[in-house]
Amino acid sequence: MSNAPAGRKPRLMQVRVPVSRRQGLISAFGIWFLFFGVWILASSLGWVNPILVPPPGQVFATIIRLFAEQDFGSDVMISIFRVLIAFALACAVAVPLGVAMGAFPAINAVIAPFVSAWRYLPAPSFIPILLMWFGTGETPKLALLFLGVIFFLVTLIADHTREVRKELIETAMTLGANRWVTVFQVMLPAVLPNILIAMRQMLAVVWTYLVIAEIVASTTGIGAMMMRARRFLHTDEILAGIIVIGALGMAFDVGFAYLHRRLFPYLEEKR
Amino acid sequence: MSQDLLKIRNVSKVFSLPKGGELTAVDDVSFTVEKGSICVLLGPSGSGKSTILRMVAGLESRTEGAVLLNDTPIEGPGRERGMVFQAYSSFDWMSVGKNVEFGMKINGVPADERRARAERFIGLVGLSKFIDTYPSRLSGGMRQRVAIARTLANEPEVLLMDEPFGALDAETRWQMQELMIDVAEASGTTMIIVTHDIEEAIFLADKIVFLSSHPGRVKEEITPLFKPGRLRNKEDVIALPGYSELERKIMRMMREEGHK
Repeated sequence: MSNAPAGRKPRLMQVRVPVSRRQGLISAFGIWFLFFGVWILASSLGWVNPILVPPPGQVFATIIRLFAEQDFGSDVMISIFRVLIAFALACAVAVPLGVAMGAFPAINAVIAPFVSAWRYLPAPSFIPILLMWFGTGETPKLALLFLGVIFFLVTLIADHTREVRKELIETAMTLGANRWVTVFQVMLPAVLPNILIAMRQMLAVVWTYLVIAEIVASTTGIGAMMMRARRFLHTDEILAGIIVIGALGMAFDVGFAYLHRRLFPYLEEKR
Repeated sequence: MSQDLLKIRNVSKVFSLPKGGELTAVDDVSFTVEKGSICVLLGPSGSGKSTILRMVAGLESRTEGAVLLNDTPIEGPGRERGMVFQAYSSFDWMSVGKNVEFGMKINGVPADERRARAERFIGLVGLSKFIDTYPSRLSGGMRQRVAIARTLANEPEVLLMDEPFGALDAETRWQMQELMIDVAEASGTTMIIVTHDIEEAIFLADKIVFLSSHPGRVKEEITPLFKPGRLRNKEDVIALPGYSELERKIMRMMREEGHK
């Protein structure tokens, strides 16, 4: 705030004035310090039952112990594998279908009434039938994750494709582009950055369904580990699982942000 | 020289309204555009001038009438009728050079010829320094130059422009108008320009087609005879005897249409 622009009162809170880098860093770290501070305080002063809420130090020690001694790494790998396979399958269907719907109203007229009905069905309601159809292997889990995102992903991508500006399409057509050139060389590259954003949002949803799938119907993976821990009142392991899922989710999110910057450098240069 | 490249014959456009009923936007419009000339469609809002241009481009269907290019009726959009829009239309994921090459690329022009032609037209609109820049880094006027170069490099028989400078600030606008005179002289391209800016119309036009509003009809075809050919500087045109007389006349016509 030392470098507040002249002519404005230096205030902590200004309507829509961006915070300085320093204030941003202090704020970001501050909230986490506060969170862990309250947690540590509550544990050490005995405000909470240590069996239900173990202190943070113990939880982090447990994370290390889980990886070192109890082969938690393979649970984590299985969970990541499930997320990536199911998400890749969902994208492989949703991207071409969504773009086609956004480009051709004739295709949209067929698919949209179908997809929008499915969107309102909660994917977990399929778990019993998926278990009966596919048994207990990987298939029902992958199917749940797939069903959990596919309809949203298709709708989002179709919407984004529909938002590609008319001028771009009409410019291409008056330059001599046929339908396919217009779709593949103009609409698709124009919508690609937004497709990646839609994928980033939906990947978070896949993680949600992963945990549901692993808690309900799995003996492997992060969610299954947490359910095992519950049986033995190992709250530290449950919290460790939550933290690891959070960290993985953030890592993927950062990965997507990086990919977005790398693939679409022209967006960074906007004035 | 006096050969009609484009003939617009008894063209009408009737929109059906969503709540029922019909709206005649363009009513029995006919005019011709001579090869190599600049024809300006001028009129108040509601005169259907953009709709007429879009019908020439093939982006809008006609209710009645025909549009003939070299005596061949047009159906749908095509590269021989390139269009520049008011809103930005740059392909943001391509450099300026690739933007200008795009039309040639999809029409199968070999790479080296493409590059050479792109360089020539980017030079013509004064953007040689920016050939490898992404359009998102350019100002509004520069992006519009990219759009013009992109269309010209594709060698259309007629360049269609729909209020191309409407979104630009006043200074950039007249620079662009003068640029269009240079471009017309250098390339010999036939142009149809839609505008509601009287000054712009008089400065650019070899012929002005003035349209009345609700519905759009040709009210009068005006040839600014006071101009001794095309002049490059706008102030020279404004200083000519006959300029202000014509401007007054058109302003009166605009006012009459506005009071309808």
